[in-house]
Amino acid sequence: MMDREAEWSALLRAAMEGDGRAYARFLGLVTPVLRGIVRARGRDLGAAGQEDVVQEVLIALHTKRHTWDQTAPLLPWLYAVARHKVVDAFRRRGGSVHLPIDDFVDVLEAEAEPDALAARDSAALIGQLDARSAAIVRAVSLEGQSTAEVGARLSMSEGAVRVALHRAIQRMARLAKGAE
Amino acid sequence: MKTEDLISILAADATPDAPLRPGQIAAASVLAVVVVVGLFLSLIGVRPALAQALLRPEVAAKAILPLLTCVLVAPVALRQLRPGAAGLPAARLLVPLSLAVGLWLWAFMAVPAPLRFAEWMPSAVVECLGLILLLSLVPLWLVLRMMGRGASTAPARAGALAGLAVGCGVAAGYSLFCTKDNPIFYVTFYGAAIGLVTGLGAIAGRRVLRW
Repeated sequence: MMDREAEWSALLRAAMEGDGRAYARFLGLVTPVLRGIVRARGRDLGAAGQEDVVQEVLIALHTKRHTWDQTAPLLPWLYAVARHKVVDAFRRRGGSVHLPIDDFVDVLEAEAEPDALAARDSAALIGQLDARSAAIVRAVSLEGQSTAEVGARLSMSEGAVRVALHRAIQRMARLAKGAE
Repeated sequence: MKTEDLISILAADATPDAPLRPGQIAAASVLAVVVVVGLFLSLIGVRPALAQALLRPEVAAKAILPLLTCVLVAPVALRQLRPGAAGLPAARLLVPLSLAVGLWLWAFMAVPAPLRFAEWMPSAVVECLGLILLLSLVPLWLVLRMMGRGASTAPARAGALAGLAVGCGVAAGYSLFCTKDNPIFYVTFYGAAIGLVTGLGAIAGRRVLRW
């Protein structure tokens, strides 16, 4: 196994320079680990609720990725963001949660198990977007179209699609913190 | 939406994202305080014979103590921009706090009894508290707005620290206008005003700095 710190920080660094492929790989590696933490800690939420929390943490990682100091190690930053958002998500769902930081270290260092939740569908966030944003989000995600293809179909410029997508994500981030 | 679909959306939004620059936020915050206080002083004027007055230790202390506190607190406030930052180590406030308490006690003993609280008139108290609070509002709002780009994992604490730093900076500038030179007066009411700005920062931070 390659050093996780080195591998993940290289991927996120590339992502922050605009490399979408590296970013997808980074998020794909982080997700099962997050899922393990949420599953272990949030049994009361049920599978659907757990996956919603995982998605909220991913969105928070995305909207706050610029707060990682690239000269410092990535994993402590990642623990701090994940821990904050998991505690926050559980608290808003009416439960309290005790999350010792060691848990994150252990889980992040363990190998992720294959998981059954990955294929689960969650409507919690996308369901609250307006129709046009939701259509763009669906086209990019479910149908795997590029932003250029979506633009052609909806007669929008690619730039406008990117902006709309960016705004939809920011909106989901606000929804996820319970601000709307 | 499946999580893997969310990942492809986020990946499609992988536009270059400028890293957070705490140094720039620090510089802009100092500028905000200096501009607001500078504008106030240029409109209303500094106290008469400021230069000579500053040679008196109790007058100099009125500016130096809050400035010292501001310099000690500001770096801790800035660290709150990133997730997982530690709070303010209590020892850091020990020096300015004990100097302030010592100054208050020294003045209490040095000033004759009838004069100790002579300046505690409602108008003077309102002027001091009100102006420090008022002058702090805009800089505090700007600082919190800028801090919103960060990701503090303790929003109320981050807001309180920002309020403490701004309140101290403003109080130091305000002291160049203020002619109440009795430490019994200014330690008490500058302290109260700075405390109010700190509380305001905590309340606002809890809302503005959530993410």
